[in-house]
Amino acid sequence: MEFLLEINTEEMPAPHVKAGLSQLKEKIERELQANHIMCHSLETYGTCRRLVAIGDFAPKQEDREEVIIGPPKAVAFAADGSPAQAAIGFARSQHAEVGKLQVIPTLRGEYVGLKKITKGRPTGGILAGALPDVITSLSFPKMMKWGEVNIRFSRPIKRILCLWGGKVLAFSIEGLKTNGLTSGHKLHSPQPFKVISFREYRSGLKKNKVILSADERKYMILNQIEKRLRPLEAQLYPDEELLEKLTYDVEYPYVFLGEFPQEYLRLPLEVLSVAMKEGQKLFSVIREGRQLPFFLGVADALSDRKSLIRRGNERVLRARLEDARFFWEQDLKVPLAQRAAGLRQVVFQEKLGHYENKSARLKQLVAYLCDRLDENKLKKDAVQAAELCKVDLLTEMVREFPSLQGKMGGLYAKEEGYPSTVSRAIYEHYQPAGLEDPLPSSNAGALLSLADRVDSIVGVVGIGVLVTGSSDPFGLRRHANGICRIVLDRKLPLSFDPLLEKAFSAYGDSLEKSKQEITEYCRAFFGQRLRFIYEGQGYRYDLVEAALSAGLDPIYFSYLRLIALASLQKSPHFEPFILMAKRVNNILRGLPPYAVNPDLFAEKEEQEIWSSFCIIRDNALPLIAAGEFVKAQNMIFKLQAPLSAFFDKILVMAEDKRIRQNRLALLQALSGLLLKIADFSHVVVEGEKKERAP
Amino acid sequence: MSLQNLIMSLQKYWSDQGCYLAQPYDLEVGAGTMTPDTFFRVLDRRPWRVGYVQPSRRPNDGRFGENPHRVQKHHQYQVIIKPSPSDIQKIYIDSLVNLGIDLSVHDLRFDEDDWESPTIGAWGVGWQVVLDGLEITQFTYFQQAGGVELFPVPVEITYGLERLEMFLEGKDNIFDLDWSGDVSYRDLRLREEKEFSEYNFNLADIDRLRKSFALAEAEAAMLIDKGLLLPAYDMCLKCSHLFNVLDARGAVSVTERVKTIGQIRSLVVRVAQKYCAEQGRT
Repeated sequence: MEFLLEINTEEMPAPHVKAGLSQLKEKIERELQANHIMCHSLETYGTCRRLVAIGDFAPKQEDREEVIIGPPKAVAFAADGSPAQAAIGFARSQHAEVGKLQVIPTLRGEYVGLKKITKGRPTGGILAGALPDVITSLSFPKMMKWGEVNIRFSRPIKRILCLWGGKVLAFSIEGLKTNGLTSGHKLHSPQPFKVISFREYRSGLKKNKVILSADERKYMILNQIEKRLRPLEAQLYPDEELLEKLTYDVEYPYVFLGEFPQEYLRLPLEVLSVAMKEGQKLFSVIREGRQLPFFLGVADALSDRKSLIRRGNERVLRARLEDARFFWEQDLKVPLAQRAAGLRQVVFQEKLGHYENKSARLKQLVAYLCDRLDENKLKKDAVQAAELCKVDLLTEMVREFPSLQGKMGGLYAKEEGYPSTVSRAIYEHYQPAGLEDPLPSSNAGALLSLADRVDSIVGVVGIGVLVTGSSDPFGLRRHANGICRIVLDRKLPLSFDPLLEKAFSAYGDSLEKSKQEITEYCRAFFGQRLRFIYEGQGYRYDLVEAALSAGLDPIYFSYLRLIALASLQKSPHFEPFILMAKRVNNILRGLPPYAVNPDLFAEKEEQEIWSSFCIIRDNALPLIAAGEFVKAQNMIFKLQAPLSAFFDKILVMAEDKRIRQNRLALLQALSGLLLKIADFSHVVVEGEKKERAP
Repeated sequence: MSLQNLIMSLQKYWSDQGCYLAQPYDLEVGAGTMTPDTFFRVLDRRPWRVGYVQPSRRPNDGRFGENPHRVQKHHQYQVIIKPSPSDIQKIYIDSLVNLGIDLSVHDLRFDEDDWESPTIGAWGVGWQVVLDGLEITQFTYFQQAGGVELFPVPVEITYGLERLEMFLEGKDNIFDLDWSGDVSYRDLRLREEKEFSEYNFNLADIDRLRKSFALAEAEAAMLIDKGLLLPAYDMCLKCSHLFNVLDARGAVSVTERVKTIGQIRSLVVRVAQKYCAEQGRT
């Protein structure tokens, strides 16, 4: 039977609509399941003004069979098969005739019992009972109250349409009763109209200038954009986020093309597109990567027959661009180097000082990174970029459009004639801004981005701010992800501890926490970020754990370790080797370190394993140092046979203390070598259960 | 339609909606929200309907009368209705139609814009209303003021009068607007913009302003203790404006900014709490 629900509201933000729809679907499904109601289909639709669910559910709950066990068969019936008192009494207690009793086999033998069918209740009543809670329990990124209503929602609810099998399903929320009415476009067709089915609802909305399906609206937008751009042989400056937002913001999309005076093309593309996007939600139009003096807007309208919408937007944009040009010209009057003195006025964080302090630290850190990574040619430019990269916080343009921070600094540096290495590094040093954002493309940009983020993390952790599930006020997760992505992408041979130490010492003695506390916290924190990245790439969690537990020296090796493990996990040597490694670890647990004395190896097997170990170690260590983990691991697999013979023949826990400790020392040396490849004790293998079983 | 006709039309419209027509408040404020006709009246449980013009000063927005859109003083038409009526959006849209705007040929949008005023501990949820790309109104369901959760929930509708008038007259320069048939915005306000910009940005005496701030702050604290909440609140408004001038003058560092806003807010919060306690609310 058809179910239709429309929660009609005032304009909700696009992310709220999406969050609302996915919860609505999930919650209705859960109710159906909990009430044993068959759900043939359930779909959701939404615009900024409505959350809609359309479903096909069974008209009633499934009938449920219940078995009530009575007395054992042996006492319930006499020898001749006639019912005894026990059976008659049981039947009476269940208000059933004796003839309805059945023999039920149970684990304890045969019993007499009664099968009772509970008829399913009609779905309508159940839905009407459940929906008020379903609707009022929807949660949104920011909730509000209105009027004198005691619920919170994304925006005020105006009307609730709910149909079940073509009739209004009656319930109410805070005095608002459901009805069979909906309404069309807020300006073009606001009067409510009645519907009795989804088909009628959908076509009624279309007639009243509302396109229900987001896909259809998006298609209309793209189609019209294409039509507007074809004569210009131009393209849209792509902006998925804006497109997605507009798809939900309008109920009937109309795309208009507008123009702005050529003279503003002297402004950088970045400035133009932000001026268009922020505030007016306009798309930039480009041809071969160059901005054209056009823009595209999406109106919630049927047409623009008097061109008023286009002209209105042109006028507003012109004013905005005029402002931007004013900022651009004003900003260029003061060179960055001169403006830099003002950084003392801008607080980075109250306990961590101002941005002049930060720049000074960034210079040190970037110089360290250049030394460390053999980028000496880059050093001068990178240090200069570090000195200037925060200056744009003092410009009018960044004050007006904060999302342009970094980029403006780079653009102004370029205008002032700084080397392109410097201007690009400044431009890129906030990249990547998010998980999908591109990484810095230049070496100096990557190093400056690393330096800035490490500095922020060490500083903020150093004053005792901890990142928890919901709280990350300084965006440290984003910073750590950025660092990991840059290091992995560029395969940078950077060790974690020395990098943190450098960042720590750049703060002098202004941090509250000790170097050790900060390093320990950050090691765990970065471990989590890497785990998140690796698992996101589809690696097995236990292999990720094994690779990460071998340390971050250098950080990039954790990835090489992981891909080696992943590529070797299918090898026939892998599982027996892992089991052996775990056995070694189990024996060694909790022991102090001992030293090997080769002269004490008396038995053939222990001499053999020791000499194999020495050869393999000497060959494997250079491979490990070079990050050749597959080769190193393949080599170490060869220890399996002599080790197995050793365990078969030799009693590690010998009575003679010196012999025993010498054998343990041998195993410790071996385990130490393994740990340079991965911490195998984290790897889960199939054979493990057999091994553990007695 | 001249600006004064726009004002009269809105006055008539909201008066017909049962609003009491207040007169502009006689202190410098940054927005209509800050005047007692909004601030105190949203705190209690009684119904309230008011509409008024409020000249609003934002020293930082001054441009010496040289920018066609930005001025250090503009005019808001402020409407507060508590509790918010269920058809308030329609009532608002009709107010635009009443101004002669044919909405069937325009694009009217309610764009997410959650409003916040840290100085008076207030925030709300709502939209900026955008007409063909031009922001003409801030439309907010008030959730908190003076740090107090508001219930019943008031709706606040704030028209930017100059913006709306530029739309109605189809003009690109604020100073070209007609205040009345014979008096232009330029006649009335250009000199004021030049002189106040000069004062706010270049001449305001930082030391004297800081002293004035401290005096008003002390006066506010004293008045709160005495339970004279309206005068106390006036002193908070004086602090807020003095702070804005100091800020425009470039005398406030970022850290100081946060600190000073916090000082004003804590006074305002005390006023609000005392007021609510008197009304039997906490």
